Amino acid sequence: MGLRIKILSGFLILTAMLFIAGVWSIYELSSIGISVQRLLDDNYKSINAAKTMIEALEREDSAVLLLLSGKWEQGRSIMESADSFFQKGFEVAKNNITIPGEQEYVNDIESNYKTYKALWIKPVVGTKSEGNLSWYFQKVHRAFLDAKISVEKLMTLNDETMYRTASDLKNRAHRAIMPGIVAILSALIFTVIFNYLINYYMVSPIIKITEGIQKFIKGREPFDVKVETQDELYHLVSAIQELCARSRSSEAAE
Amino acid sequence: MRLHIILRYAAFVLLFNAIFFLISAAISTLNADSAFFPLLYSAIISALFGIFPLIFVPSTTKITNKEGFIIVVFGWLLSCLVGAIPYVLYGGEFTFTNAWFESVSGFTTTGSSILRNIENLPLGLLFWRSVTHWIGGVGIIIFVLSVLPSMGSAGMILYRTEMSHLAMDNFHYRTRKTLQILIVIYVGLTLAETISLLLCGMNLFDSVTHSFATIATGGFSPKNLSIAYYKSAYVELVIMIFMVLSGIHFGILFACIAGNFDGIWKSSIVRYYILALITGIIITTLNLHGNQFQSWTEALRYAAFQIISVGTSTGFATTNTSLWPSFSQLVIIFFTLQCACAGSTSGGIKVDRIVIFWKSITKRIRQIQHPNAVIIMKVNKMPVDNDVVEMGIVYICLYLGIVFISTLLLTALGVDGLSAFSGSATTMGNVGPGFGMVGSMSNFSQIPCIGKWILTADMLLGRLEIFGLIIFFLSKSWK
Repeated sequence: MGLRIKILSGFLILTAMLFIAGVWSIYELSSIGISVQRLLDDNYKSINAAKTMIEALEREDSAVLLLLSGKWEQGRSIMESADSFFQKGFEVAKNNITIPGEQEYVNDIESNYKTYKALWIKPVVGTKSEGNLSWYFQKVHRAFLDAKISVEKLMTLNDETMYRTASDLKNRAHRAIMPGIVAILSALIFTVIFNYLINYYMVSPIIKITEGIQKFIKGREPFDVKVETQDELYHLVSAIQELCARSRSSEAAE
Repeated sequence: MRLHIILRYAAFVLLFNAIFFLISAAISTLNADSAFFPLLYSAIISALFGIFPLIFVPSTTKITNKEGFIIVVFGWLLSCLVGAIPYVLYGGEFTFTNAWFESVSGFTTTGSSILRNIENLPLGLLFWRSVTHWIGGVGIIIFVLSVLPSMGSAGMILYRTEMSHLAMDNFHYRTRKTLQILIVIYVGLTLAETISLLLCGMNLFDSVTHSFATIATGGFSPKNLSIAYYKSAYVELVIMIFMVLSGIHFGILFACIAGNFDGIWKSSIVRYYILALITGIIITTLNLHGNQFQSWTEALRYAAFQIISVGTSTGFATTNTSLWPSFSQLVIIFFTLQCACAGSTSGGIKVDRIVIFWKSITKRIRQIQHPNAVIIMKVNKMPVDNDVVEMGIVYICLYLGIVFISTLLLTALGVDGLSAFSGSATTMGNVGPGFGMVGSMSNFSQIPCIGKWILTADMLLGRLEIFGLIIFFLSKSWK
């Protein structure tokens, strides 16, 4: 193999190591970006929606108590605004199904909320339910708790997924850094080996050839340099040996 | 010492690793797991480092024994380093120390792990983990069959006893002969075990990985519960048979396959090895019956598996031996120190040295009885030099000394006495599990960082027969 290919191979290998490490790091970094975006889009949105729903449910619970105490207008107005607030949160959660099993949780919220709403949508003031605390605790409050728990379950599911994604992000950050570190260390070791081989197979033979020629010129000592490889240096040595031999024979003829 | 020749042959080791990295990466792709890039990048790095010396350094078959020795030891250490790259790149539980520990444990066929949840690892990386055992086993066979017999010193003569004709050949021929043995025995046993495990109902991945670990007497399992996961007596039986076979000198197994069946029974080393295992199983069964297990069958089943597993330095587990009575634990510790035959992939002091040790005691007693008699000590009807006996005893003393020192260092780091001693003994013997916090159903994750480095040094010292590593690091060896 020629010297050019040998030297080129060294540089190509160094470049390949750094290039691949670079490409991989870029890939991992862009994956981190995508994961962060997904984290915000998928999980954070659902968690916010769940918080909205919980707040709405708590307001509705207070409104039911107002209705029970006979404050019809105040209770109804809070109830209506809380209901629309809940629907807003629910719509977000319904349209943001991204985790396996999330659909079932949303269905649970829908059915539990329907049951809860069916209890307070009917008039309370002026009926036998007004001031009936046992009706509230036995039916309304239980339905409220069921709806709240189903929303909390959705929030927990998203919380856990967010934690897992964040942990994965830590691993991805590690994977983005490590190829660079490995490539740098490998390149350093490779440079030492490359330098050793260049020195052994190229620099040393050149020094030996130079010394051989000088010895030949000064002391007419025979040019006896041996090169292990079959490259340009080998051909150079052969050519010099031939030159020396011709020079000797012409001298002898004179 | 021609450094460039060492680089050229070390390059073959790297290329060999690169091929298995690629196979592991392919498995990773098939399972669409997250280990693909770490394995692929490791393959590329390994291949690039491997190709380069082949471009520069011209081929030569004239390798001196000293160079052959350096090539194998250097190749081994290089494999350990390169083998840690996919772990480091993957991250998770793998810090650099943990990755180095897992890689050294794999290549030295120790089988101790720092992983708390093995099953959490992607299949590609699990496959690589088992492959490190298998490659390590290849290295051991080359080391003990073609490198050590050439070294001439008394310690290495041990390996000549069974394969004396091989020791007389030159390094190149010996390596060729070793490769022949490797292909027939090592690959043959691996294939046979894989097929047997498949017939027992194990899936292909588990069969292959367990076969790699058994034939190399490693002990890495892709399951957290090791062999206990399968709850199958057939699986245990198959693994036990192959563990026993892997503990016998590969030259003897080769001779057996070549038609010389008598050789295996004529060898006093093999006879002692089998007898020791049977005795160990019987006394442990007796101790366990009524203590840990109510039926004789259960006591025999678990005792046999654990004794063979430790006695061959494999390290698979079917039960938590940390809960066993002290007597059984001490029997296991004895086998952890002794292990199997020289010339196999097994670690430890080796039965050969134990046999020489006992015979030297007998000789000494007879010498006291008959002061003027000329008593010649023989192993396998061959006279054993005083140098070999002396070196065997020195080796045993040094071995136990290193175990004691590393136990001392581990206890200084806050590790409890039992875990420190059993951890040191098990890593030095390349066995795998110990007792206490490093028991058969636990792992080495709780050992402090420095402690892990001490234990990896033990693994390398044990695997390279102590003197192998010392000679490698002495500057005189490189001149």
